Amino acid sequence: MPTLENPYLLKAGRVEKVIKECEGVYTFHVKTQEPAYPGQYNMLYAFGVGEAPITIASMGEGYIVHTVRAVGDVTRHIDQLREGDYLYWRGPYGNRWEIERAYNKTLLIISGGLGLAATRWVFEEALNKPIKRLVHLYGSKDYDSLLYRYLYENWSSKAEFYITLDRPDPRWKGKVGLITELLKELELDEDTIVFTCGPDPMVKACVRILQEKGIPQNNIYASLERHMKCSVGTCGHCMIGPYFVCKDGPIFRYDLIREYFERKEV
Amino acid sequence: MESKGKGGSYLLSLEGIRELFDRLREKYRVIAPKLKDGLIAFSEVDNFESLPFGYKNVEAPGFYTLERSGGYFTYTHPYNSFKNFLHPPELALIKVKKEKGKLSFQVHIQEETLCLFDIRACDLSALRVLDLVFLHKNPHPDPYYAGLRKGLFVVAVNCTYATFTCFCSTMGTGPEVKEGYDLLITELSEGFLVEVGSERGGEILEKIENKSDAERRHFKEKAQRLRETEAMMRVHFEREGLPERLYGKMDSTYWEHIEKRCVACTSCTQACPTCFCFDILERNNLELDESLRVRVWDSCFSPSFATVHRFNLRQSVHSRYRQWLMHKFAYWVDQFDCFGCVGCGRCITWCPVGIDIREEVRRIAYA
Ligand SMILES: Cc1cc2nc3c(=O)[nH]c(=O)nc-3n(C[C@H](O)[C@H](O)[C@H](O)COP(=O)(O)OP(=O)(O)OC[C@H]3O[C@@H](n4cnc5c(N)ncnc54)[C@H](O)[C@@H]3O)c2cc1C
Ligand code: SF4
Ligand code: SF4
Ligand code: FES
Repeated sequence: MPTLENPYLLKAGRVEKVIKECEGVYTFHVKTQEPAYPGQYNMLYAFGVGEAPITIASMGEGYIVHTVRAVGDVTRHIDQLREGDYLYWRGPYGNRWEIERAYNKTLLIISGGLGLAATRWVFEEALNKPIKRLVHLYGSKDYDSLLYRYLYENWSSKAEFYITLDRPDPRWKGKVGLITELLKELELDEDTIVFTCGPDPMVKACVRILQEKGIPQNNIYASLERHMKCSVGTCGHCMIGPYFVCKDGPIFRYDLIREYFERKEV
Repeated sequence: MESKGKGGSYLLSLEGIRELFDRLREKYRVIAPKLKDGLIAFSEVDNFESLPFGYKNVEAPGFYTLERSGGYFTYTHPYNSFKNFLHPPELALIKVKKEKGKLSFQVHIQEETLCLFDIRACDLSALRVLDLVFLHKNPHPDPYYAGLRKGLFVVAVNCTYATFTCFCSTMGTGPEVKEGYDLLITELSEGFLVEVGSERGGEILEKIENKSDAERRHFKEKAQRLRETEAMMRVHFEREGLPERLYGKMDSTYWEHIEKRCVACTSCTQACPTCFCFDILERNNLELDESLRVRVWDSCFSPSFATVHRFNLRQSVHSRYRQWLMHKFAYWVDQFDCFGCVGCGRCITWCPVGIDIREEVRRIAYA
């Protein structure tokens, strides 16, 4: 990754498109020529309020895509941006998904909730890569919080894309139940590569099931979420064991972090 | 006869040291120990008389006082550290202005020509540690630290006394200053041995008239004094293999024993010369068209430090103490190839409940 002369300098980009995903979640297409890789994130800035780390959910010709859920100070302000406004950020930061490891193998992506924003880009990339079998499980709390509905048809036509809702809904004809149930039913090769992003308890539960299916921990990658301030390894907030999630991650091979990730309060 | 450049060594009188100080003052903002509110504090110092000559600091867990002593550099290190000047408690990163809905950014990177006059072996090691954190082992070297650090002139002093909380010999960082200085002073019975560690150190010394070449007996006395200083400290634990031992003790119930005493006051992290953690705050004007982004020290003991999802990942104080100690003595080695503790003992002296990190390391890793 290139060195930034001043890692705190902010860049500006015009918001070219805003999509309302669901209540309190918006997707922004932001003009930029900045190179980035699937898995990386930016620190989005709200004037006078602060910054929040947000995954680059996808990239198109001359723009990046961010999907932001308004949960607090910064994200509530970002979600008020409309077409023509400017978004300010610094980045990209962090490592990327090691998609090459999945070439000629099965790639399983497991996304929980907003974790789909962190796996969307690598999934889109995987559709055009020499991957033997591509499976994506997506678990959402309920029908109303589903993201990227407009992409499902295309995704389902090109890969095995399955959705499950935690809660039933009369409008939903598909699967209901936790993502772990869906995962249990899945037949997988033992050399399957797994990319996952979701709440910590979901990741832990999925890893247990994957292990029962004989998939080794060093085939599993998880994108972690920790409190971040500097994003360059100098503020200390994001530490998990000897790792800085901001610069050594956010994506970790599971066998390397398991000891810290599964232990309480590390 | 060596008279110039790296490697020379001289014997100076007190007058010579004063002259050196004054010459440095002409070129640098000098940071040196000074008496302040009953403490020896690193401060900006304008005159040589401000140095706390004739005093020594007496320290123990949760205890600090000054006593009279004969001699000059008879104290150890100041209660605060040089960190305050290179990684200040509060530092402006960017000024953001809002005009007609658009933002503009002003960056002011302060460039200083600082001189640390009288820094001891432990703190000099801590300086190397912070250099690794902010510059050399960072994919995005920190320009603010670099700016303050850039022209730094280092006058180191060998300790000829150790307090009860000093344990540099355990950490392998002292009492002898071995590298990283421009000039190095050792107080001897006949005067002050001054060794040159850099070209610019040599240049400054060249201008000082009151000096003679150092002789073998001066080095013998220096070695003797350092041996005596080292003998004032016990070796508290074995450094070799310590990270591995600690990794094996992460589930020890002893951490909870520490929680019964630690009040999570963050004092240890503020006093520590290597603790680098910070927060970034926004300071807005009343009109809400100008906002300053400032970085301020933070601490892994504070309850908001590791909060994600409305949930503090380290709720218990014992998990925060574990984070601190594991970082210093285990994680740090993986991250930066050195310990995060240099054995200065400040955290022991300034812990309000007298928690002694040496004892905790010993009990966790070796009991
Ligand atoms: C590498 C990385 C990538 C991320 N990618 C995205 C992304 O693509 N889109 C996105 O919306 N978020 C993403 N996040 C999460 C986002 O950074 C946090 O939600 C952030 O705290 C929001 O900042 P804020 O100032 O708005 O909220 P804050 O004011 O910091 O927090 C508001 C409240 O919500 C809580 N909270 C924090 N995070 C969450 C959360 N994720 N869900 C629910 N409550 C939370 C806080 O504890 C607090 O109580 C990512 C985080 C990381 C570390
Ligand atoms: S942990 Fe304590 S003894 Fe070690 S460097 Fe920090 S303040 Fe000094
Ligand atoms: S100074 Fe002592 S009481 Fe305060 S946080 Fe540190 S160990 Fe705990
Ligand atoms: S976010 Fe500051 S160290 Fe990782």
